[in-house]
Amino acid sequence: MTEEVSPYVTLISNDGFQFQISRDAAMVSGTLKGMLNTSFQESSTNTIRLHELDAVLLEKVCEYLYYNLKYKESVDVPEFDIPTEMALELLVAADFLDV
Amino acid sequence: MSRRRARQNGGQEEYQVQGPSSALTSFLREQGISAEAIRQRYEAGLRRQQEQASSGEEVENGELEESDEEILEGEDIPEDVKLMRERARIKRRRARRDRELDDEEDEGKNFCIECDREFVISVYSKRMEKYGRIGYLCPECTSNEIKRQRMAKRNEIEARKRRKKVAAALLDKQEYRIPSLQDCCINVISKNIDQVDLLGDIGVVNMKKISRILSKNRSLDNRTMSLFLDSSMREIEFWDCSKIDSSAFDKIPAYCPNVERLVLNMCGRLHKDNLKYYGEKFTNLKYLYLNGAFLINDQAWQDFFDSPVGKNLKGIHIKNTHRFSPDSLISLLDNCGNNLEELTLSRLDGLTSKNVYDLLPHYLRKLKHLEISYPNKEELIDDELLINLLGVNGETLESLVLDGCTGLTDQFLISGVKPFCPALTKLSLVLLDQITDVGVKELFTDWDMNGGLMEVSLARCIELGDESVYALLEHSCQTLVELNLNSIKNLTRNFFKQIGRHLRFPLLTTLDIGFVRSCDDSALAMLSRVAPKLSVLEVYGNNRCTPAAIVRDNLKIIGRQSDRLDVGLQNESDELAVRLQLVQTACSEEMLAELVQQLVDARRGQLTIVFDMIDDVGEVSGVFLDKLKLEEKRPERNRAPNKLCFKMCK
Repeated sequence: MTEEVSPYVTLISNDGFQFQISRDAAMVSGTLKGMLNTSFQESSTNTIRLHELDAVLLEKVCEYLYYNLKYKESVDVPEFDIPTEMALELLVAADFLDV
Repeated sequence: MSRRRARQNGGQEEYQVQGPSSALTSFLREQGISAEAIRQRYEAGLRRQQEQASSGEEVENGELEESDEEILEGEDIPEDVKLMRERARIKRRRARRDRELDDEEDEGKNFCIECDREFVISVYSKRMEKYGRIGYLCPECTSNEIKRQRMAKRNEIEARKRRKKVAAALLDKQEYRIPSLQDCCINVISKNIDQVDLLGDIGVVNMKKISRILSKNRSLDNRTMSLFLDSSMREIEFWDCSKIDSSAFDKIPAYCPNVERLVLNMCGRLHKDNLKYYGEKFTNLKYLYLNGAFLINDQAWQDFFDSPVGKNLKGIHIKNTHRFSPDSLISLLDNCGNNLEELTLSRLDGLTSKNVYDLLPHYLRKLKHLEISYPNKEELIDDELLINLLGVNGETLESLVLDGCTGLTDQFLISGVKPFCPALTKLSLVLLDQITDVGVKELFTDWDMNGGLMEVSLARCIELGDESVYALLEHSCQTLVELNLNSIKNLTRNFFKQIGRHLRFPLLTTLDIGFVRSCDDSALAMLSRVAPKLSVLEVYGNNRCTPAAIVRDNLKIIGRQSDRLDVGLQNESDELAVRLQLVQTACSEEMLAELVQQLVDARRGQLTIVFDMIDDVGEVSGVFLDKLKLEEKRPERNRAPNKLCFKMCK
């Protein structure tokens, strides 16, 4: 376990798009954190396949992960923009990812 | 000019006659210019002219223009004239030096007070006080300073916003956190709920959240309500039914026949026909909570309890309706009284018959939760009724709420609760003003049968004192999770001391100790120490609780007056302004002094204190001067009656 951990992880949507995000950002999500901190395959390859999410949703999720990372400490945060039509799907995804 | 003229005059003979001296004469004399010396000089000049007549003429003009030292350089002149000239020279030199010094120090033209660089002063140069001096800044430093102040202002605004949000979150007993993605989504959905046709598989928890937000926004109506109706739902709760009409209420059993627990809050539009329909359709209903169902009359209640659904009920919670009559209660008891595990009768002003209340012990057998609160008259609920009830149900009873039953006395505690309630974990006795220190102490002393209470509210039991509350805590300190001691005004400092020395609260998480005036900073520190899990501590009305209390970081103290203080940099003059938005009575002198002391420690410089709501600052100012060794400074301009200006003399 002492081997060098990459500072980036790759998230793959169900339609094959890959998103490389920093490990810190991924750790915002309880589910992803759980996957990366255990001895599952995901933690060794630093790659997580998210079969439930398509690219559009996953992009929004990544956006939120960075948003959370950036504004965690501050108070006067801009509102996170969510397109109305995406809200319900995103809620399901957020529920799954625990963010 | 004048000198030259004087010289010319001096050349004339009749000037020697002394007369009253003019202002010019006295001025000349002061300057060390005497007519005699001038005459001699003139004669000498004439002599020289004659000597030089052969050599050249040109010296004359220059001689007249130049100062006298130069004219007579290297010349043989009388001793007294020399002396006089020497004195004049010293005087002139001194005057010149003074003028130069004035330039440097008073107008600060030359050197920047910050970087000590020479510069040309302009209207844009910033004047400021620094390092104990007053001066101007060079253009570069000025722009830096303006930038710095702008940043400080922005930071201050940011900080103020932050404090505001944190304070708002504090009042909701939450910590301020960045909203989760789920919350963001739920907000968007709630805002656009009109466009949602189907919520889909978002999970029961999220569904409940959306439903609650809609209730809170008062936007739960017929259409939005139907989004939450799903045949798989076991529990349904609508906390604001005021926009749901009668036909929509019928949809609930039609879509969700399997519901076991139904909560309808503010259901003023629930019609008797709805209740009748519920009585036929909700075949699995076990628990029913209806708050404010005032359209349901006596007959409708009776019919409902008489229906198959009514007979099946295990829990009934009815609040806030005057139409629930004694007959309705009899019907309730007749039909499902024997099975009831939960019963709430709160604020039912139609229940005015003592005889009907007295029937309760004859039907109820295995209650786990009993709430009888705020009865119509205090004599309806008396000790005997409670003792009988507890005698039958005490074995299973876990939760007992008797808020506002002011007719109860010590008797029911000693003869009812103490001998019959081994399983009790929640006890709420809000507003019972007849229970006394002795009775409550008697209850909790050696109450070995009960393993300990988890939730206790003794708010506004104003007759209680140190001994009874200490007995309670001694009995239940290991199990207590929530404790409310609001307004038990007789508690003293000694009480807190005793707790700190002898008791530990491993599970206590919330404590309300508001309006217990003896609670001070040291009590807070003690509570923080003896209750490691304590996360919310309410201290409203305790004006001895200040920000100076030393408590754990993760303990939220709510209701300190100081939390409302708005402290921060006010304007560019680098002064610290303190706005005390306090009512006069609540603002004790010690508190103010302590607050200011902290500010003084944090910052040096000038301190302005604005008392927004204090009429007479003269009184408090003395305290500051004494305690802080501050030197009062009241500027003449901008003098406001509620503003004090202090200069720190550290």
